[in-house]
Amino acid sequence: MKGKGINFRKILPFLLLIPTLFVIITFIYIPAADSFEMSFNRENKFGTRTIFVGTENYGKIFTDPEYLSIFGFTAVYVGLTVFITVFLSFFLALLLNKNVPGSYVYRALIFIPYAVSPAIAGTLWTFMLDPVAGHVNYIITALFGQQIAWLTTEPYAFIALLAATVWKMLPFDIVFYIAGLQSVPDDLLESATLDGAGAFTKIWKIKFPLVSPITFYLVIMNIIAAMFRSFATIDVMTGGGPGGYTTTMMYKVYLDAFSYQKMGIASAESVVMFIMMAIVTVIYFIYGQKNVYYR
Amino acid sequence: MAKTKVQFWHAMSGWRIDLLNSMAEDFMELHPDIEVEVQYTGSYNDTLNKLIAGIKAGTPPNVVQVYEIGTRSMIDGQIAVPMQDMIDQDPDFDIATFMPQVLNYYRIDGKLYSMPFNSSNAILFYNKTMFEEAGLNPDKPPRNYEELKQACAALTEKDKNGNIVTSGITWNLHSWFFEQMLAMQDAPLVNNNNGRAAPPTEALLDNEAGMKFMTLWNELTEKDYMINTKKEDWTGARKLFLSQKVGMLITSTSDVVAMMDGAEENNFEVGAAFLPTPKDSPKGGAIIGGGSLWLIDGNPDEETKAAWEFVKFMAEAPQQIKWHEGTGYFPVRKDAVEQLLFEGYYTEYPDHLVALMQLLFSKQDYNTNGAIMGVFPEFRNTLENNVEKMINGQLTPEEVLEKTAETTDDLLEEYNELYE
Repeated sequence: MKGKGINFRKILPFLLLIPTLFVIITFIYIPAADSFEMSFNRENKFGTRTIFVGTENYGKIFTDPEYLSIFGFTAVYVGLTVFITVFLSFFLALLLNKNVPGSYVYRALIFIPYAVSPAIAGTLWTFMLDPVAGHVNYIITALFGQQIAWLTTEPYAFIALLAATVWKMLPFDIVFYIAGLQSVPDDLLESATLDGAGAFTKIWKIKFPLVSPITFYLVIMNIIAAMFRSFATIDVMTGGGPGGYTTTMMYKVYLDAFSYQKMGIASAESVVMFIMMAIVTVIYFIYGQKNVYYR
Repeated sequence: MAKTKVQFWHAMSGWRIDLLNSMAEDFMELHPDIEVEVQYTGSYNDTLNKLIAGIKAGTPPNVVQVYEIGTRSMIDGQIAVPMQDMIDQDPDFDIATFMPQVLNYYRIDGKLYSMPFNSSNAILFYNKTMFEEAGLNPDKPPRNYEELKQACAALTEKDKNGNIVTSGITWNLHSWFFEQMLAMQDAPLVNNNNGRAAPPTEALLDNEAGMKFMTLWNELTEKDYMINTKKEDWTGARKLFLSQKVGMLITSTSDVVAMMDGAEENNFEVGAAFLPTPKDSPKGGAIIGGGSLWLIDGNPDEETKAAWEFVKFMAEAPQQIKWHEGTGYFPVRKDAVEQLLFEGYYTEYPDHLVALMQLLFSKQDYNTNGAIMGVFPEFRNTLENNVEKMINGQLTPEEVLEKTAETTDDLLEEYNELYE
């Protein structure tokens, strides 16, 4: 009897995992395997004609100057949004962590962008940045007498996109930082004060290192968000323009797959993204456990 | 008796959803044994993607509205029942009542693969009130590029900081206008008789007609005579015109109703005119744009028969008149036009007449019948990207055409390899 019980207990977790595995296999692993296979083919719009082209799709994307510039743009876009978001959110979290009257109201207000869907966010920004009827240009014209075509010229399209993405990602980070900062022990800060540490020292030598696990987690999450979730914002705001200037790798996959129905190329591109994200994830697992010190 | 269900997917947004629904209801009253499920499936592109998903999953709809530039890939995909097969089997149906211009677009190798439904082309709208204020004759819209530039110069006004107060013209950043402007000058877009004699292998952009229009586009932009929109931003362009920020707008004839209503709302008088052409270039004509209805294969025969009844109904004169009056897409049938003419409709709405006349005056040849190619969506995006670069001062008009032709040739080669 005892042996049987142990066996059952060994099997039980796997039984419980079956439903989840079923969903993951059906909706993630099988399509992923499919697109891996498709990346070696070229097929027509309706999948009624398919020819095997080997690694031609990969060769094509890595020799296409357009794709390489998209690669570069994505790196700059992801790098900048993540950097700005993390620092800005840490700074805002410091402010929001102060016990000023009404700080709860501010926190609630600041969290709102997170609840807005990326497509709606893009639309709101598009309205605000409208060169003729937008609020932003109204103010800029009043102050500086300049009109800026925010979404259709370089480098403004990039700046607009950067602002919208950061705005959208900030709340998530702020919430994590507020939670982290609240767990910084008061006695530590008090003793630092007694030792003569200024506000600057307290922030960068005590608080920031103590929330470093959170920072690390947020950097990873933000990279993923900027890589994958910014699709809707880009689609609504710039459509990847002007002249492909704000096209990210994710948006390029969308264009190839759903505007031109070139599944082969799109699959190859998504495999490239998969490999990149796999690397980021591995880094997270290795360094997330080793190099960031929890107190 | 169980009703035969017909699934109809379309890409007509806004008030046109209700219009199509009511047309389907009229049909069901006449055919109580058929139930038409009308579904708005997003833009043309979204609709095409849903169709692809439906076909791959083995659950295709019966009738789908596909944009005109999807024609080649729909035929090559071999997923549709050619409309010609149904027409040939139906003695009641007389294709001779259809407008030849429309048939010329959709007939490939003498065969009609889909049913023309919503057809349009590009025309020029102009603000007569602004014309008058700028000292221009409101009854003389620009007819050639030189007159267009002069009108734009008169309409453009800047403040002391150099910001545009009003500008001459806009059209949304869309390859369609380039294609129309080539046809207006009787020039082809691709080789092999615009892809109608055989699948095209080469884009023919680097010619005088293309250069003339691209140079105009660049010049108008540089001088602030024109405000450019985002890519394919129809609403943005309409807004610029209706808010009287620009004096002229080139857009689809399917916007006639929207422009007439909008002008009245915004207290100005609107006029419609043919597309301007360069003074010394050959005269071609407008290309049919819009969409057509496709019968999708892989459904039970009974459903396909019912779907054919529905498609036939939608192309009948009364429905085409209703559709025309509600949208501005012109009727695809001669008898519908005749009836509107006799009713005095065109006297009352001269802008609709302008749209129609431009089409009727169009020379009929391969150039004005429009290009047919499998990679049209990518071609358009390539051209539009390069135009955006031109507007941002990174490419010259010549480079736009060269680069677009280069990319298009590669795309065509890749596409043709699939069908070798």
